[in-house]
Amino acid sequence: MTAPVQVQPAEFARFRTRLLVAMMLVVVVVAATGLWFAQSNVAANVQLDWQREFRAELAALHAAQEVRHAALAERCRVLARKPRIHAALEDNAPDLLYPNARDELADVLGGNNSRPETAAYALHAKFYRFLDGRGAVISPPSDQDAGRLKHEVESSLALPAVPTGPQIGYIENRADENSPIDEVIAMPIVSTETGEAIAAIVLGFKPIELETRRAGLGIQSGIWLNGRLHLPTLAVSAQTALASEVARALTTLDPAEGSFPLEVAGAPLLLFYKRLNPDSSYPPAYEICLFPLADSLARQRRLLWQFAGVGALLVLGAFAASHLLSARLSKPVEQLAVDSEENRARRARAETALELTSEELQRSARFSADASHQLKTPVTVLRAGLEELLAGEKLSLAAREEIGTLVHQTFRLTNVIEDLLLLSRMDAGRLQIEFGAVDLTPLIEAWLDDLGALPDGLALEVETDFPPALWIAGEKRYTTLILQNLLENARKYNRPGGRIRIMAREEGGWVILTIGNTGRPIPPAAQEHIFERFHRGAVGENVPGHGLGLNLARELARLHRGELRLARSDDMWTEFEVRFLPAQPAPTTAGVSA
Amino acid sequence: MYTRHLLLFVAIPTLLASPAFAQATIEGRVALPKTHAAPVMNMRYEITTKSGVTSTNPPLAVVYLEGSFPKPATLPTAQVAQKDLMFVPPLLPVQVGTRVEFPNLDDTYHNIFSFSAAKRFDLGRYRADEKPVPAQVFDTAGLVILRCDIHEHMRGLILVLDTPHFVVSDPEGHYRLGGLPPGRYTLKAWIDSKTTLERTVELQNGVTLNVDFP
Repeated sequence: MTAPVQVQPAEFARFRTRLLVAMMLVVVVVAATGLWFAQSNVAANVQLDWQREFRAELAALHAAQEVRHAALAERCRVLARKPRIHAALEDNAPDLLYPNARDELADVLGGNNSRPETAAYALHAKFYRFLDGRGAVISPPSDQDAGRLKHEVESSLALPAVPTGPQIGYIENRADENSPIDEVIAMPIVSTETGEAIAAIVLGFKPIELETRRAGLGIQSGIWLNGRLHLPTLAVSAQTALASEVARALTTLDPAEGSFPLEVAGAPLLLFYKRLNPDSSYPPAYEICLFPLADSLARQRRLLWQFAGVGALLVLGAFAASHLLSARLSKPVEQLAVDSEENRARRARAETALELTSEELQRSARFSADASHQLKTPVTVLRAGLEELLAGEKLSLAAREEIGTLVHQTFRLTNVIEDLLLLSRMDAGRLQIEFGAVDLTPLIEAWLDDLGALPDGLALEVETDFPPALWIAGEKRYTTLILQNLLENARKYNRPGGRIRIMAREEGGWVILTIGNTGRPIPPAAQEHIFERFHRGAVGENVPGHGLGLNLARELARLHRGELRLARSDDMWTEFEVRFLPAQPAPTTAGVSA
Repeated sequence: MYTRHLLLFVAIPTLLASPAFAQATIEGRVALPKTHAAPVMNMRYEITTKSGVTSTNPPLAVVYLEGSFPKPATLPTAQVAQKDLMFVPPLLPVQVGTRVEFPNLDDTYHNIFSFSAAKRFDLGRYRADEKPVPAQVFDTAGLVILRCDIHEHMRGLILVLDTPHFVVSDPEGHYRLGGLPPGRYTLKAWIDSKTTLERTVELQNGVTLNVDFP
């Protein structure tokens, strides 16, 4: 049924759109989050790589410094054991200090032929100076032995007090163009006698170069000291700018170690700094490493594009998928909505129709009942009048015969009216069977007796096959009506000299009664109409009947919770089958009285 | 007792140098810094330098009278021996111009030297049988720290004084300085390289003056 059900298409479109938008939102958020994490992960990895590189190089530097420390500490111990050094320091003879230390420290200053990779290189000092017990510098009598130093450079070696442990410092020594920054280590000379630091020795070295194996990658390193940056590979102006950046970072960021990105001459760089001399009495100095970020930024940009491409594809795919999905998800919902709308409409129509029908039925049932009652009385009056006429003696034989037929017709009329009355009661639902146990056998036998008494001259042969007692659930009045209707039909529509067979059996929880006759076959086209009211098929007009019998019988059979059907109808044989519910036999003999 | 003997040994030339017998005497006690070192068995002294201050341990004081005294024509030769890797005596006051011998009484080499301003010298390595016995003349007043270049722990002190009147206190700080000429002088007590206490004293013949430091 394709009734135009009114379901708002706009609502469905809105629903589907909302579903789609929600799904897309989820996909986009998930994709974006994933991309963001991947991107920042890559960026962090690059930074981490450089940091590892920086740390590794600093570790190499520290290793070299350790060698120096160890060698120098040993040297200081040896010096402290020298009575002459002790004497010079304790007995106030500084002039004798350097000459007496010369031999001991000769190899530290000499050995210019040492190779950079040897430990001796690490201990190859440019100069050395002694600090007295208060940390002040003891000037050597001549620069020859202890290495040449300008006065202001020499005074920068002084410490506020004699150190108790090794102190690393960095000093500017502009006299040396190759290495304007010198790394110095101050090591205390501890009296073997009292355990006191009686003096210190300061050795100046060329700073250890960070490994340059990655120089090809554009890594630059230098030292930041006293607000100045010494990074010879950079232009002076850039050095100045960078130095102030570092100074700012030291106050705002971690003063021990850190990194920040910056730009030098338009090139993006990552700057790492780390204090070279933590816990030192010398001014803080920082190792500065510049790592070029251009490559990694380009890589990141490339990656970003790749990610964006993949992301776009992903979103596109997701769009398609969610479109399909939302369509698929919304279809059943839509169908459901349509169906429910249709159902509602149909139900409403059906209810209306039912109401109308019910009203009509009630009206017609009432009408039929009224009509039957109204008809019954005049028919009775009519018959009484006719019987009275018949009782008169002045009538001719022909008139008497005529009146006899009329009386017979009034009987037919009464039957019709009674049938109608019954049907109308059934239609109005006012007929209710009071179920009891009814024995069919005596009913059939009674009819067979009547049949024998009928003067119709059809000469019918009757076959019976039923048990002596056949109890069914029903009300005797109406059960009788069903049987009478069926048996009467079997007789009426039979051919002269034909047969009637009445068989009854219990089978499958039913009591099945079949009544067959050798009447004229009911054409197939008519078979489905024979149970309708006032249908008489193609039966000749001479057969009495009013077309209500079968209908009445079927309705009554159904009221008995049974069924009546045409079992067979062909040239030879027409057979009806009626089934009843079986019942326990009644305890009294009430069923026998007919 | 070894120290007593030592003090006598030091005092004899002083007494001999005095021209007359009716002379003044000073005695008293110098409050010596407390030492936390364990009691020293058989009075072994060591010389320590702590925070730039050199002294004997346990501490000893040298009390001397400052003034202008006539120079003697000859001065006796003093000795600082090296015995059992120690300087003996650990603290020797001498008058300016005294010649001090440094005999090696050990079986090993010694190399005595001094970087002190009052007297710089280096005797080089020598053994016990070295002849003549290495010696130095100390002609500048001041403290001379003796060291051995071979044995880093060996220290000795020679206090060169411009006076013939001096004495080393006993370990408790008691001293007695006799045979002094009358007059007004400055009495000094050397306690360590950075600490010398002083008092003005008025000496009279036959009078024993009691002066405690501080």
